[in-house]
This record gives sequence, C-alpha cells and structure tokens, in this order.
Amino acid sequence: MATGYAPPSMYRSQEGMGIWEHRGKVAAVGVGHSPTERRWDERPETSVGAWSIMALRNAIADAGVSPDQVDGLVIVPATTTGAFWPKDKPLPQDVINSFVQTDDPLDGIAKLSVEWLLKNMPELTNINYSVYAPVCMSNALNVAAQAVGDGLAHTVLVLKAWHNLEGRYYQGGQNAQESIAGTSAMTSLWGAPACYGTALQFAEYCRKYGKDHDMMTPFIINSRRNGLMFPEGYWAQHRPEELTAEDYQLARWIAKPANLFDNDIPIMCAASYLFTTAERAKDMKQKPVYILNHADSDAVPRGLTPTLEEVEAECALTGRKIYEGAGITVDDLSFENMYDGFTQFHQFHIEGLGYRGIELGEALDFYQTDISIEGPNPVSPSGGNIGSGRSRFWMHTDSIQQLQGRAGGRQITGVNAEIGVSGGPMPLGGNYTVWSATPD
Amino acid sequence: MKQGVIPDDLTAPFWSAANESKLVIQNCSQCDRLQHPPAADCGLCKSGDNLEWKEMSGTGRIYNYGVVHDCPIRLLQDDQPFNVAVIMLDDDPGIQMYSHLPGTPVDDVPVGSAVEVVFEESANGQKIPEWKVVK
Amino acid sequence: MAILISFDIDGTMEIGDPPGPVTLKMVKAARAKGIITGSCSDRPMSAQRAIWEEYGIEYDFVCYKHLLSDLKNQFEVGEYFHVGDRDDLDRKYAIRAGFGFFWPAEAAENPLLL
Repeated sequence: MATGYAPPSMYRSQEGMGIWEHRGKVAAVGVGHSPTERRWDERPETSVGAWSIMALRNAIADAGVSPDQVDGLVIVPATTTGAFWPKDKPLPQDVINSFVQTDDPLDGIAKLSVEWLLKNMPELTNINYSVYAPVCMSNALNVAAQAVGDGLAHTVLVLKAWHNLEGRYYQGGQNAQESIAGTSAMTSLWGAPACYGTALQFAEYCRKYGKDHDMMTPFIINSRRNGLMFPEGYWAQHRPEELTAEDYQLARWIAKPANLFDNDIPIMCAASYLFTTAERAKDMKQKPVYILNHADSDAVPRGLTPTLEEVEAECALTGRKIYEGAGITVDDLSFENMYDGFTQFHQFHIEGLGYRGIELGEALDFYQTDISIEGPNPVSPSGGNIGSGRSRFWMHTDSIQQLQGRAGGRQITGVNAEIGVSGGPMPLGGNYTVWSATPD
Repeated sequence: MKQGVIPDDLTAPFWSAANESKLVIQNCSQCDRLQHPPAADCGLCKSGDNLEWKEMSGTGRIYNYGVVHDCPIRLLQDDQPFNVAVIMLDDDPGIQMYSHLPGTPVDDVPVGSAVEVVFEESANGQKIPEWKVVK
Repeated sequence: MAILISFDIDGTMEIGDPPGPVTLKMVKAARAKGIITGSCSDRPMSAQRAIWEEYGIEYDFVCYKHLLSDLKNQFEVGEYFHVGDRDDLDRKYAIRAGFGFFWPAEAAENPLLL
C-alpha cells in the first residue's frame, strides 16, 4: 500500500465554502500519549518509533476498540524538532535490532513511515487507507476528519511524534559552517533565530497599539499553570516549575522582543487520536467529541517574513472560515486552544477569532483580566506548548478532553465546555478544528 | 563576520552582481513582478520561463527590526547582541531584505528611516548586500 | 578578601539536566570556607530558589546569566567566579561581567570546592 501526501482537495482553504458537508458526522473518541523526554537517550524503548507505537496503542485502548477495527492511518512522517541524526554517526545497533526495519535506517529513529508502523504493529491487520500530512498534528487532524467524512476509512488513527537529539537547538549543520550555499544564504546569513519573525510582528503590534512585552506576563503565567495540570506534558512530568512575573520579565532575550520563555522547549513525545464516524462512536468507550468543521490557512507572505498587516488579515480570514464551516458564531465558543509556541502567535489568533469580543490590538489588555480555567473567559486551557513543551498537539488533546469532561485539573469551570477550537501553528499557514460536545 | 557564500545555480547572478556592488532582484517579465528570495518559478504565474534579474536603485526603508541575543550561527555569536532589520525596497516595498544595519547602535533603530545599500565582505570574500541609514 | 562563586545548573551541577560534575557536596564545601554561593542559570529564578531549598543548601543569590554583572552591585568581594558549560552564554557573560570563569570539570577539581 503506497502512502502519499493528502491532496489539496482535502483541505478547506477558501472562504465561502459554506457549512462543512460532514459537520457533526465525524468524532474523536480515543486519546493516546507517550511519555515525554527532553532528548532521546538512544534506547530502543524511548525511540520516536517506540513512542509512536505506544501512543497509537493507547489511543486504541482509550477508545475501547480492537486493533482490527482500525482501517485508516493519518500520520506526519517528519518527526524532527530541529535535530537531525549526524551523517557520520552510526545508528544504535540495539535500536535497529529491536524493530522490523524498512529500507530507510532512520525510519523509527528520526522519521516515521506508515510502512514502518505497520511492520511493527502487526495487530493493525485491516488498514486499507493511509495518508501523510505535513508538519503538524493540526494538519493531520484536518485530513483525518475529511477522510472519515468522505468515507475513505471509518476508524482512523491520527499520529504525530517528535524526536529531539543531543546538542543545542539548530546549532549544528550549516549554522556551524564557515560557508553556506547561495540559496540558504539569502535568508540565513543574518542569524535570525526561529522566533525572530514572530518577534518582529509582535514589535510592530506593540508600536501600533501602544502595548509592551510585560503585558504578556499573565498569559505566560496562566499557560504554565495550565500546563502543570497536564499530566501528559513535559513540565508536569519533569520540572514542575511555575513561572512568576519576575521569572518572565527578567529572562534573557532570544530575539528582542521575544525572550527565553516566549519560546517553547523542544522535546520528544508522541500523541494519537482515534477518529471515527459519529454513528460508530456511540458504541465506543469514551464520549464522542464531534467535529463541526476544519479550516486551513495556506497564505504565503510576499516578503521574507509576514507583515503585521498580512498576519491580521489572514487571522481574520481564518476566523471567518472557522465559523462559516462550523455554522457557529464567536458567541458559541466555550474556550479557545489556539497555538502559542511562540507565545506571540497567540494574540493574533484570538484577535482573528474575535474571542470574547476582542478586537485588533486588545488581546494584551484581555490578558490582564481573568483568563483562568475557573473564569468566564478561559484562554488556552491546555497551556499549549508553553505549558507542556513543543508538541503542537496539547491544544487538541485538551479540547477533546474538555468536551469529554475528563480534563482533570484543567477542566474549565467558569463556563460549560460545549464548543472549542484548536489549531495553528502560524497565522499564515495553519490548520484548525472546531470541536463540539454534541453533533449539532 | 557573516558566513561565506557559495553561489549556486539559482542565486549565482545575485551574488555576482553583489561582487560588482550592484543589487539585482529576480523579476518575472510576464507578470512584471519582483520576487525575493529567488525561486525556480514565478510565485504568481508559476512559470520559470520569464524570470530575469533586474537591477535595483539600492534605496529602501527600515520596516521593522529585532535584536538578536541568541543566534544559531556560530560565526555571528561573538557579535551578539546585534540588530536584524527588515528593509523594504523603494523599488517595491513588497520586496524585503535583512540587514544588520552597520553603524546603527544596537536597539536604537530608527524604524521608517531611509537606507541605502552597501556591500560588505563575508568570511570567504563574497560581497553581501547590507544597508546603512541615510544621514 | 571574600570570594563569590556562581553556579550554572544544567550541564554543570549533578542535579542539572543533563547532570554535570559539580556536586552539592562541593557547594557545601565552598560555603564552609565562607565563600558566597548561589546559582546563575536559565532556569526560572523561582525554580532556582526551589532547588536550593529542596536540597537544604543555603544560598546567597539566584540570578539569570545575562544579569551576572548585577551581582557585583549586590556583593562587594575580592574575586568573582562563574562556573558553567556554555561558551556562548556562561563564558561570554562571565567575561563581560568581569568574572573569572571555570568549566564544570575544572571547577570540580578546584580547591575552592574541595
């Protein structure tokens, strides 16, 4: 079974497409996670392949189905956090010996194929549909929802896994070389770190609306607090450290105005969800969470980095697409779990949504109000990447768990969890899912 | 010191022009549209048949900037912190280029100010377009 | 004259992630000699305080690496040292602040900590 990337027709990229044709007919039921680690210790049982298998099996068990009931797989084949296996470094032999290999020796170590998973999960005997989604869980969720809705498969596992290796983030490879190729040099010669583009947009935002970096503080504190109530997350598992205003405001800059705690920490982890039809979901172990819509932003900036004007226009467009396809208005949202890794994405996303009526330039003022899970206006109840490390999937797990009523300490209490939205990552280039406790 | 540059097929005309202290940007003659960084195809008509290189006036404005304190490039780490600005070209403000703004104090960047292109040597002698604030 | 030693945590101390060669026993030994000690790390300052308190070791300060020079205003001593594992952060900021600098393995063999 050859596996290719999802075609563009599976994404809902345009405004004016109307209500999603499968609104309320697809549901998420099972959630499965691996543990987290800062970096791979090169043991077989902690490899990205092993943790992917664990996450998939946990999702199957959580949904209460048998593996032979699963007929579809949607996975993200890229697993890197920015770390690449060095070309001259031998692969650990015990890892290779522990799994059934494909032709690619890095499969299951620094990347993931459907072929590798099926070779190492013999219990998945009835997979007849598989497809790759690029980059993020957010993207894979859109594809899985559309696949189930279209009838390409009826019970689909969605997977995203991340590997992180020894060494510092993005410090190797061409960044350590004396000379680089001309094409790369066009953008990388100036040494802008990953958060630079977002920091620029935030700088312009602050100039335009008269805001400052310290106004992000309540959001940071709230996100870490929520993350520490996420038992699957990195900080909760390894370093249960809250952040204080002093911690955040005095931290060193990475690319001013983005500091260390505006950046998310790269980690190893994997997560999987089980999607099925609303009809089949009724008989499964967990309460179904219905998908009302999925939406895609595929805008490309004209220049090297998006301008604030481009970001605001695209986030507003994304908001309209989200509501249009779901047949809801902003007033129907119980909570939002938009992307936050870098933190300075978040205000653009929620202003685009008009969450709780906020308009352009008002998000940082909104952060100064009660944004806790106990209040009427919960912001990022998952805690996002800031609360639990870089996975880009905490927001989805939390959305499902909130609507199933099993978010534990993170369960929002100031409002009833009825409809939520999650997604990202970038304002220009993201995928979003609208979740609901009921199909209509 | 910036890393050296090894021109490749796509970018060789850009780097050759820089060595002659000229700034050229890729242009699609069919669409009459500049694009940067250069690509194999025009971002608008998706064809590579009408791409050419066009010399720019070498003037622009500072659109925005950040101050880099933790840079992933080893050769630049001794220079931290440093400005990285985004320049919008006067020929087409949709075309952006990065700049360290040589001569401008760190975090004291006059956003919106006029700048002009200069060319500085990188680690292997390849000249790189840079931008200085016009006094 | 009194001495001040600042310790990075991750990659430097045995309790760091990754662990380094500087042990808590060494910190205690330094304190027993009257040396002013504390941590200077990328970890949140509140977390640095929590670490010292968790292990029952008194400390005179916690700070961030880029604020190392502030310690000179807080403590007037004869010699200032920082121990850390990163060239671009620990060593750079130590030199910029006018501190002496030790790599973790060097510090672990220094008589000041033994």
